[in-house]
Amino acid sequence: MLRPFFYVAPRTKAELLGILRDEGPGSRLLAGGTDVLAELRVAGKAPKQVVDIKKVEAFQGIRFDPGEGLSIGPRVTCADVLASPLVHREYPLLATAAAKLGSPQLRNRATPIGNICTASPCADMAAAFLALGAWTEIESARGVRRVEVKDFFVGVKQTVVEPDEVVTRVVVPAEMAGAAGDMEKLKRIRGHDLALASVALVKHGGKLHVAIGSCAPTPVVLPVLPVDAPVDEVKAEALKVIRPIDDVRASAEYRTFMVQVFIERLMARVEPQ
Amino acid sequence: MRIRVRVNGRDYQQEAPDHWTLLRFLREGLGLTGTKEGCGAGECGACTIIMDGLTVNSCLVLAPEADGTVIETIEGEAVAGELSPLQRAFHKHHAVQCGFCTPAMILSIKAFLRTNPRPTVREIQEAIEGNFCRCTGYQQIIEAVQEVTGQREGQEELGHA
Ligand code: FES
Ligand code: FES
Repeated sequence: MLRPFFYVAPRTKAELLGILRDEGPGSRLLAGGTDVLAELRVAGKAPKQVVDIKKVEAFQGIRFDPGEGLSIGPRVTCADVLASPLVHREYPLLATAAAKLGSPQLRNRATPIGNICTASPCADMAAAFLALGAWTEIESARGVRRVEVKDFFVGVKQTVVEPDEVVTRVVVPAEMAGAAGDMEKLKRIRGHDLALASVALVKHGGKLHVAIGSCAPTPVVLPVLPVDAPVDEVKAEALKVIRPIDDVRASAEYRTFMVQVFIERLMARVEPQ
Repeated sequence: MRIRVRVNGRDYQQEAPDHWTLLRFLREGLGLTGTKEGCGAGECGACTIIMDGLTVNSCLVLAPEADGTVIETIEGEAVAGELSPLQRAFHKHHAVQCGFCTPAMILSIKAFLRTNPRPTVREIQEAIEGNFCRCTGYQQIIEAVQEVTGQREGQEELGHA
């Protein structure tokens, strides 16, 4: 059962930023709610208010700007990503990752921006955004700043977003349009489950980008490598950035092993365009 | 907050505390207890309903978020005491054991068949991946789905019908 709180749903970004300026620390932002409501229930936490951002008109939509790239708003759900022909055509890895997240019911509500804001080490969308070199736009009454997704996570469930701020967009650069990529996700069952380990890999413009989930306090990305880097070198780089732990879902040894298996598979499977 | 919803074709207006989930509002506010609470945290899918055409875990939606939406629950399935074709197929194939997962299972399948009327077995499995059946009657559920889609012609029944 949820502990009592107030519900507010600002209609404009200005109104939202005002609420966060005045009452940021007591507020919990709500988009899809699939993480927030589960967390409020399980942790028995009670913010003073839950601020629903889904009524802010400016937060909707998936847009492509040939100069900037693909822009995803905070209201966009994983189901929206999956239903977007633009995403399938230009950034298919995002659709692959969205399809791997949760169940149909969860994808109908869960948002890619919420997924990175929860900052779980196993966030499925985070691996894809990292491999595609995405960045976020973060706003508050103080102004706007831009943070690369690779600098966005600070620790388990911790991000650079301050209590008076909101992530208003995530942008995948135009240079990554048409990038060939794929993702592997290890689960305990074939149905919906959190990742025990995941790898997203992109080959594009002569470069190789690899991101790994569930193997460190945050999702991590390897340094950019040449597209023809030998598989053993890619695996060696991966072992330098991961810091897996043993937990109820998998051992560190299993995670380490499977990350290498996934790198081998993806290196063989992904064909640069 | 005052919540206005249309549930199974009927309009409701009722006050609910801000922190109530849609699940609690349906059950305790409107008295529609067909929708079940299992985990209350988005794992089991027992609380699945259709909101504005899309399945959602009603334990992960706040009642105020549902204001102004159109909702379908299990109570809208049988009409005038007549089971729907999907319910009849569940009955015929013994897809209901304890029945706790059934209301949500029906709603998930209903929404799914609107977009995919002739699914493969794999597609059916994926469509219900967010609905746990702890009695593990998945095979019978899949048979029931194939029955309503007309994909069981010429196939032998398991003999439990
Ligand atoms: S009760 Fe909602 S998913 Fe389990
Ligand atoms: S019939 Fe018992 S949980 Fe599905």
